[in-house]
Amino acid sequence: MNLFKLRGIIILFILCISCISEQKTIELKEYPRHVDDISFDYLIDNKNFELCNGENNIMQYFNNGKGLEYEGEKISIIREFKKYYNSENVVKESGLLRIRFVVNCKGEADRYRFLSMDLNYNEKKFDKSIIDQILTITKKLKGWKPKVYAGKKIDYYQYLIFKLNNGEIVKILP
Amino acid sequence: MNKIVFILMCFFLKIHAQPNCKAFLHEGDSLKYRACKLVEKLTGSYYQFSKEYQKGMDEALLICPYFAYAYREKSSAYVKSGDFLNWKKLIDLAVKYEPLDYLSVRASLRYKFFSDYKGAILDIEKLDDMVSYDIGETSNGTYHLNVVKALCYKEIGQKQKAIKILEKQIENESYIGVYDYLHLGVLYLETEMYDNAIIAFEKQEKLNDLAENHYYLALVFKKLGLSKKYIQQLVIAEKFYLDRKKMHDSYNQLIDQIYLEEIKSERSIANNK
Repeated sequence: MNLFKLRGIIILFILCISCISEQKTIELKEYPRHVDDISFDYLIDNKNFELCNGENNIMQYFNNGKGLEYEGEKISIIREFKKYYNSENVVKESGLLRIRFVVNCKGEADRYRFLSMDLNYNEKKFDKSIIDQILTITKKLKGWKPKVYAGKKIDYYQYLIFKLNNGEIVKILP
Repeated sequence: MNKIVFILMCFFLKIHAQPNCKAFLHEGDSLKYRACKLVEKLTGSYYQFSKEYQKGMDEALLICPYFAYAYREKSSAYVKSGDFLNWKKLIDLAVKYEPLDYLSVRASLRYKFFSDYKGAILDIEKLDDMVSYDIGETSNGTYHLNVVKALCYKEIGQKQKAIKILEKQIENESYIGVYDYLHLGVLYLETEMYDNAIIAFEKQEKLNDLAENHYYLALVFKKLGLSKKYIQQLVIAEKFYLDRKKMHDSYNQLIDQIYLEEIKSERSIANNK
């Protein structure tokens, strides 16, 4: 076998390996009805929390084009966290922490779920001292407005993302 | 104003336009063509968040694992639900295969949805290094990417740098973004360049008059000790706000966006002076 043929085989081999690894970047998997749907968990969720329009009709907070809707606007949420979140008593961690939940057509909220990362998009679990405070304060927020879409009050998913720097909340999104 | 909105709409449509499948066939890429044809059927038929849409995109990617457009389409639902982990994995793949098309998208979304200012600056600068033409606008067409870069520098505390980028961009822009002068005015206000701030807010008023414009102008007059003008501008700001002439985005709070409570609080300070 001459050198050119050998080189060709090696290149072909590398390409095949590359193709196989690319194929693995995507695979057919099962999805819920919608990306990030939150189903009821009897261990952690409020059994008395009711959806008005059923599991298959929960929409997203931006679907009516009005974004986050809260009594006194987002600044009221920021104020609650400024008032009640104590960064002195927490582990000094940094990253993003998302809490996502369902708001029903009456403006009641439940099914809180966390997702978190460090500042480089690596999954990270924040310390309980941070998570517990954020969950407690979020659960106390009572100003969620019932959203209206096409003339009807809807149930919807809302999230809050907390940007943390050494345990301190430096930004609340969206 | 209508002209600007029209231009922005054109950019929006252009950026979000589906790829031309036939072009892939002409390029001799039958895999990308087949994946593209599959995606064509999904878009417009299913909601981005839906199981059908996500599975369909997966099928397209099984046909052509380097079809960047499908990764970007899959990622949209994740960024909108605030899932930074899955979004980043998917948009990184789109950028890997088509950096010229998707660096701008990743930059636009990481700063807007996740306050990742340093990451957005890196993406914009990388794109700028790669091309000789204008780097263009954000994925929703609101800003030129250089304006985003300026806003990101501001958010990480480099306000002078932000001013220089924004001034240069406005000077060279073929069109001015709907909030460009407002952001520049706020930067001048924050760096105590009050005369420049007034000029910028006046330009914003002519281009796209907003509650924010009058609120920040009021703060300039407050700093200059011009009480009457300070109060007048706050009154206009409140009226504009209640008339919904204000900054708005369906997903996020925008940089320099204000709330009614802030205007009222400032009015109460003004009244007690």
